[in-house]
Amino acid sequence: MFLVGSFFLFAAFLITTCIFVIFSKNPVNSVLFLVLAFLNSTFLFILIGAEFVGIILAIVYIGAVAILFLFVVMMLDIQITTLMFNIKRYIPLALLFAGIILAEIIYLTVFKTSKENLDTFIRTKNNTEQIGDVLYTEYFIDFQLSGIVLLLAMIGAIVLTHVYRPTIKRQNIESQNSTTAEDRVKLVKIKSGEGIKDD
Amino acid sequence: MTSLSFELTIGILKIFSFVVPVLVSVALLVYLERKVLGAVQLRKGPNVVGPFGILQSFADVLKLLTKENLLPSSSNKFLFIFAPMLTLILSLIAWAVIPISSTYVIANLNIGILYLFAVSSFGVYGVIIAGWASNSKYPFLGALRSAAQMISYEVSIGFVIITVLICVGSLNLIDIVESQKNMWFAIPLLPMFVIFIISALAETNRLPFDLPEDEATLVAGFFTEYSSISFGLFFLAEYANMILMSSLTVILFLGGWYPPIDIFPLNAIPGIFWFVIKVFLILFVFLWVRATFPRYRYDQLMRLGWKIFLPFTLIWVVITSAFLFYFGLLPN
Repeated sequence: MFLVGSFFLFAAFLITTCIFVIFSKNPVNSVLFLVLAFLNSTFLFILIGAEFVGIILAIVYIGAVAILFLFVVMMLDIQITTLMFNIKRYIPLALLFAGIILAEIIYLTVFKTSKENLDTFIRTKNNTEQIGDVLYTEYFIDFQLSGIVLLLAMIGAIVLTHVYRPTIKRQNIESQNSTTAEDRVKLVKIKSGEGIKDD
Repeated sequence: MTSLSFELTIGILKIFSFVVPVLVSVALLVYLERKVLGAVQLRKGPNVVGPFGILQSFADVLKLLTKENLLPSSSNKFLFIFAPMLTLILSLIAWAVIPISSTYVIANLNIGILYLFAVSSFGVYGVIIAGWASNSKYPFLGALRSAAQMISYEVSIGFVIITVLICVGSLNLIDIVESQKNMWFAIPLLPMFVIFIISALAETNRLPFDLPEDEATLVAGFFTEYSSISFGLFFLAEYANMILMSSLTVILFLGGWYPPIDIFPLNAIPGIFWFVIKVFLILFVFLWVRATFPRYRYDQLMRLGWKIFLPFTLIWVVITSAFLFYFGLLPN
């Protein structure tokens, strides 16, 4: 009873925050609602007993991804009216993605898993150990491939945005650290009436 | 029903038994910091309020409480008030999983260390929301600096934690401490211990990495616009975070509640005493570092995090796991 109640509570919060993500006028508020949405999905994962997945979701998405989102969005100087105008352009694409994800969820829940299967899977072992058992054995190739996909995305983003500017002055830390007093300061004895000779 | 309310009462009492000592030790830590700084700089430090000036921080808190709380007119009011609360709440809820003896802990989670890592990585939200909601230049710059800095040093903290976890084979904090009964991890993993302390300094925005609140360039950084008790909450949270990171260091590397050597007069002393002594020593290192080192420049900070700590910790994870695997020492 308690579990079911909390499921509906967190699920309702999740959907509400997602709606706010879309309809907030200010993009910073959108990102903050996105963080709340991530937090609620963490709670949902913990409710079904998948505490490892839930906490990893929190660490990766709330602790890193959303902060970088916030970092970028905060620095944008966006005219809010143009943003609201543009939102209609993306509706077909959004519907397409929503359809694909819905189809996946229906496929997984209706055809792939049975409830008894799920219950025994959760109860037998601590789920951190379960993931550890299969991640590098059964799903080794998939795991490495997804890592390579992420690496490619990162390199792609850097290549697209990085512009080499030869005019920028950089600091060479090694040369700074290896400098001694003799390189920078010279003691000169000056005879009166002659001044410093330039050499 | 009675048993439920009984358990609820016990739970609330347990929570208070953590939160109240933490808040009192925050006040004492501020006093200690001023005394240590005074001693290092050949001054006396606070010595007027109470015996040896020990009531100085309580007097400061009372002063902050009586001041007027100013709201900047162009700020985002809700987020402006919410940010310091969030910071303090996050620095207190982390204590739910800290074990101060083999039995005394509020929640003995089997993923305790991940919970702590998650909560400490949320800490940046308080800073970044405060900087943005103030709608002012210096706080905003402070928030940006802090976001980049905390993300960078979380990476190396993550790898250090992974190294310890490889040696323990469990994510439970009590298991982590109990596997150090014979040998503290500070000895075999000494480089990781040092990196963890340095990263903890950066993660708690302490000197020499306190660029988010760099008073020489940013006035007061992200809390420039804060006054009265909302400033006080940030202040409390910073010191509570210091104590938290010190406790985490003690749990990961200095054997938690175990005495240095397991012989009679030492192991008769209750574990909580050893725990507090070790936390105190780490905190002293924090203050000592503050009195000794000048502030880093921002590019030096980033270079240290990404170009030195990240490769070093990554290689050390590989070395540790290869060593344990080769000699068959991996925990099952």
